[in-house]
Amino acid sequence: MVEITILKRPRAEAVITQRKFFKKTARGKVIKVLRERYLRDDVSCGIQNCTDCEGSAMNELPASGDKAHPSFPLGHFVLPDTNVFLSQMDLVESPLFSPPIILLQTVMEEVRHRSLPLFNRLKALTRMDDKKIWIFYDEYRSETAIVREEGETPNDRNDRGIRKATAWYSSHLNLTRPPIRGQPPPKLPTVVLMTEDAANRQKAEKAGIASISVRKYVEGMNDSTSLLDLLAAVGTDDIEPTKAAAGRQALYPEYLPSATLLTGVKAGQLYQGHYNANQYNYLEGSVPVPAFTKPVLLIGRENMNRAVNGDVVVVEVFDEKEWKAPADEVVDQDSATKNDDAEDSGEEGEDESNQVLASESKLLQAEKRTSEKQPTGRIVGVIKRNWRAYVCHIDSTSLTSSNTTSLSQQTVFATPVSRLLPRIRLRTRQAPSLIGQKILVTIDRWDVTSRYPEGHFVRALGKVESKEAEQESLLLEFEVPYRPFGKAILDCLPEQGEQWVVPVKSESSPEWRDREDLRDLIICSIDPPNCQDIDDALHARLLPNGNIEAGVHIADVSHFVHPDTPMDSEAASRGTTVYLVDKRIDMLPSLLGTNLCSLRPFVERLAFSAIWEMTPDADIVNVRFTKSVIASKAAFTYEEAQIRKDDPHHQDDLTSSIRLLNNLAQKLKAKRMAAGALNLASPEVKIHLDSSESSDPIDVEQKEMRETNSLVEEFMLLANISVARKIEDTFPQTAVLRRHLPPPRTNFEKLQDILMRRKGMKLDVSSSGALAASLDLCVDPAEPAFNTLVRIMATRCMLSAEYFCSGSVGKDTFGHYGLASPIYTHFTSPIRRYADVLAHRQLSASIGYSPLHATLHSKPHVERVLDVVNRRHRMAQMASRASVEFYVGLALKGRGERERKKGGDAAEVLEEAYVIRTFRNGLGVFVSKLGIEGLVMFKRDMQFDAENYTITVASPSPAEPTTTIAVFDKVTVRIEVEKDKNTQRGRVKMTLVHPVDSRAL
Amino acid sequence: MASTSISKAEKSYIQAGLLADPPLRADGRALSDFRTVSLETGIAPLANGSARLSIGKNPHDGSGGTEVLAAVKVEVENIDYAGGSGVEGGRVACTVTCSPAAYPHLRSEALDDLQYDMTTVLHETLSHSSLHPQNLAILRGKKSWLLNLDLVILADSGNAYDAIFMAAKAALWDTKVPRTRSVEYKAKKTGPTASVAVGGGGSMDVDEDTVSGFDTRQITHATDFELPDYWDEGEVLDGRHRWPVCITLNLVPPAHLLDATTSEEAAIPLRLLIMFSFESKESPSIQGMRMLGSGELTTAQLADLIKVGEKYAQEINSSLNVKLKDEDLRRNQKARERFAQR
Repeated sequence: MVEITILKRPRAEAVITQRKFFKKTARGKVIKVLRERYLRDDVSCGIQNCTDCEGSAMNELPASGDKAHPSFPLGHFVLPDTNVFLSQMDLVESPLFSPPIILLQTVMEEVRHRSLPLFNRLKALTRMDDKKIWIFYDEYRSETAIVREEGETPNDRNDRGIRKATAWYSSHLNLTRPPIRGQPPPKLPTVVLMTEDAANRQKAEKAGIASISVRKYVEGMNDSTSLLDLLAAVGTDDIEPTKAAAGRQALYPEYLPSATLLTGVKAGQLYQGHYNANQYNYLEGSVPVPAFTKPVLLIGRENMNRAVNGDVVVVEVFDEKEWKAPADEVVDQDSATKNDDAEDSGEEGEDESNQVLASESKLLQAEKRTSEKQPTGRIVGVIKRNWRAYVCHIDSTSLTSSNTTSLSQQTVFATPVSRLLPRIRLRTRQAPSLIGQKILVTIDRWDVTSRYPEGHFVRALGKVESKEAEQESLLLEFEVPYRPFGKAILDCLPEQGEQWVVPVKSESSPEWRDREDLRDLIICSIDPPNCQDIDDALHARLLPNGNIEAGVHIADVSHFVHPDTPMDSEAASRGTTVYLVDKRIDMLPSLLGTNLCSLRPFVERLAFSAIWEMTPDADIVNVRFTKSVIASKAAFTYEEAQIRKDDPHHQDDLTSSIRLLNNLAQKLKAKRMAAGALNLASPEVKIHLDSSESSDPIDVEQKEMRETNSLVEEFMLLANISVARKIEDTFPQTAVLRRHLPPPRTNFEKLQDILMRRKGMKLDVSSSGALAASLDLCVDPAEPAFNTLVRIMATRCMLSAEYFCSGSVGKDTFGHYGLASPIYTHFTSPIRRYADVLAHRQLSASIGYSPLHATLHSKPHVERVLDVVNRRHRMAQMASRASVEFYVGLALKGRGERERKKGGDAAEVLEEAYVIRTFRNGLGVFVSKLGIEGLVMFKRDMQFDAENYTITVASPSPAEPTTTIAVFDKVTVRIEVEKDKNTQRGRVKMTLVHPVDSRAL
Repeated sequence: MASTSISKAEKSYIQAGLLADPPLRADGRALSDFRTVSLETGIAPLANGSARLSIGKNPHDGSGGTEVLAAVKVEVENIDYAGGSGVEGGRVACTVTCSPAAYPHLRSEALDDLQYDMTTVLHETLSHSSLHPQNLAILRGKKSWLLNLDLVILADSGNAYDAIFMAAKAALWDTKVPRTRSVEYKAKKTGPTASVAVGGGGSMDVDEDTVSGFDTRQITHATDFELPDYWDEGEVLDGRHRWPVCITLNLVPPAHLLDATTSEEAAIPLRLLIMFSFESKESPSIQGMRMLGSGELTTAQLADLIKVGEKYAQEINSSLNVKLKDEDLRRNQKARERFAQR
């Protein structure tokens, strides 16, 4: 008989066993929280072959520690304190930093309390295979648990706990490896406390505990140079003499304490919002806040007060009489601050800094115009930094020595690829070798005394313009998770792998349960060329009663991806597949995406089908949804399908089915347009790649829209709308839907004004239908492209569509503005979008095929998942666009070289472009053929008429007439790809050729 | 106020015994003897202060006796806007609940009456302004603490009033109020600068900005508070030694007796409750007085009774203080020492 004893705890020990703390809730209440603590003696030390502790086989630390560090020849374990993780996470994450680490629970908790993002990074770190990290639950082991003394600060208590745990480890190693008679005494590895706190180190030494600072530790390592760069800028104070920070003058006002900020925001005297930098003018930024219709304008460094694009900031708005209008000039950071010296910028006595300041203050001259005034203010605090690693180039002029063998530490500037970010100052020993490379840099801090933020080098991505480096930098810049799928995820795939097939139809087969056999239907898929992940297939046939049956069959991803599996959570965090010009970053492992789920022709596949019965006029008689097994009869490209449909010689079932679908699609589209759907435009181009291997782009062409594109689109919309209705009906609280809010009217004001003044046209924005109708009227007979241009600009005025959980918003805001549909979701591409997977699960539950997983009943959970998906979706779009831009640049360069070969040096790339914006010293132009926007800069100010959106270029001789250029004018530009001499950053440079040559201006 | 009804014969038997020389009580005590009082503090971990007190519990089997549970919970109240029930400087609210198990013979209306009486006596005495702790303020004009003192009478075998006052004192002694720090955002009219005033724990004076003394319309703008250290249990109530004790004099003229049992209470026509607060040993102050029952008392008698009552209360108070300090020691320092010596 097993003897069960109950460990009774005397009440007298409450002070040890209970941990109490207070919490202040958002509503201002104070809550007392109690945690019971059960101390045990069997919390394992995590070191292999320990005679005392029960091993756990997984992730144990090697018995002798790490012997690679010269200071610890007998081996060692590193036990870092909280600050090491708070300030030196990049170092710990580096693959070069590989000693066995003992991570204390105390440290984990403190990190979580101080910074949630760092805590998440730390958690991810502990799961990584190549790191040796053991989490020791010191608060639960009876020997290492401590109680806070009276009058002890939480910090001191934690430090004491960390020291106690270190001491315990040392004695534990001693006890479990006793000397054996006749043998030399065992060589005991050291457990070394790693801390930046000099006082803590002193106390440790007094207690006989080995301790070391991070810098000292890294300096002693064998590959110290590359690791020393990873050391964050902070925490150097006790090793190196501080660089007279006190002598410096503060350039920026201090932030208010965070509690003060929150109070101010709560009382409505301060405003909280995301900081957006202005990409045209580095001295201007804005913060959209709900209290004002226009965003709050921030002018000048001092008012922008060290905010970095994306930070959540708190602004104070000035009195209305101090409000200003945004500047109408392009101010380029690179040219304006060329002379800043990385070593001593921030010291405001210098002449050149004064020059910079003078030119900056000139730029900040108050605007006279009153019409466009908007709330103006300054940043008084930052709620949350949104700093991440940024892709940068080293500015070669900031180097003091370019000797590649020099290992001396230099302070240099790194210029981020994104124009929205300030330059970052960093200290590195590898500066010369990093020139001409894309590198990853993180910001550590931004002091009031320093004009630029300070950061440190993380790693090099590769040579500028090499495809790998560009691709990786793109993925990093848009935070696309691109690591290969881990083992746990691949384990979720069917065992048969590529050999998996739909089993033979039988009663007992789980695959066939409740599935309709649609293998005999004439189903085909229509996709872009080279499409491998075929999500959807279609069919249509005439019914005996004269109606038409049309079906949309979607890959049954939810059959393979089950909720709460590693594959599911990975897909949820990836959110979407990202398409770059030359690469696809999958949301699901490619076995599913391109094979098992993909509705390839001639094989049986599982599908989720939506089948409508429609009248010949495309009125829906009824709709049903069913899981099915299909066998696609053909996979067409849009072009093939179009040719087949138009060729009267084809009279087979397949072709007639396409024709039937096409007829219905046209009627569906007409109905949609009549209901007020918008026909929007975005500049889309297609990159022709030379061959799949070299992937050198040879040309750029605009995407062509065929009838068959529209056919597929109409049926997908129909399926999405039908599914949205069904799941919203069944799960009114948690249905996964997609909406497009109507844009606020103020968004269109500027466009309306431009149209009115330049073309005398009116834009009616009262509803989507009215907007669609008035967009149709914006036609310039002489300029067929003008209408497209207006549509692109109108699209920019709108909000972006978003996924949402039906229970979280009011039912009157469900509508999709662009599609003019009262309800909408995404159902048709589960291979590449995670929201569709959720919609599949919900639809499957609503037809009674499978029960709905508990998480999809929980509103907070659905909201959380959709937040991630929304963000990923936005980032993926930006990444694709940036990738296209990069290839357009490459293509342009190639074209320029070809033309030069053909026609000598005089030949150049000339394109027609439309003016879309005017500045005092430049023009924003759009080259529709290439789908790129560009900036034409003049060296001097032009005569600028902000009211009429024109600039007038004076002619060199008074006899010739002056030239006026206005928004919507067609101009010819010369396009060159130019490398910035200092940073090697390639960028497209445009100059005006017609009506005037701007090179002289 | 009799909670037990007894027969006339029994009543006169008890009275006769009390008036005999030497006086005789059923449990053999002298007239001024108390039964054993046992006390433990900190019994409700989630409360801000708590105590369990029993009088006359059988030490062997733990049965019998009067048993009272007291717990203090502080919560934040808004003062400023409509619907906020807070009072400048905080307030104290006491409630006494009688467990129906303690009074099985009472109907629920009678039980309600009894609870109401006890609540009134306790609340009126403890929420008096002379006893009000200073550290229940959080933000002037904005927020304050509401101190809820809840008592439950689990069992009553006489002398419930003395028991609830002792339990209340113990729980209040044990109470710790979270330390707060006020934060403020002030937009100054001259120039766009903001200033912060951070007040200390006890005195929540946020108006540290030097403004003219004539400026009476000092409008503090956005103010809120934060918890500077949320692991900290907080500080003890200000003036915790002042909390009063109650002494019940059961009058059987010319004699009086203390700590009456249930049946004694039923046999005694008149009881006098006197609440004493001891700012210091020399300066007791009477915080309240109550007569219960149908008997009468002359002023001269009353003056004498107050004098003797003070003596008894002094004894109770000092032994209670000793025990409370002992409890603090037991729960903190000693527990820590034991923990360290494992």
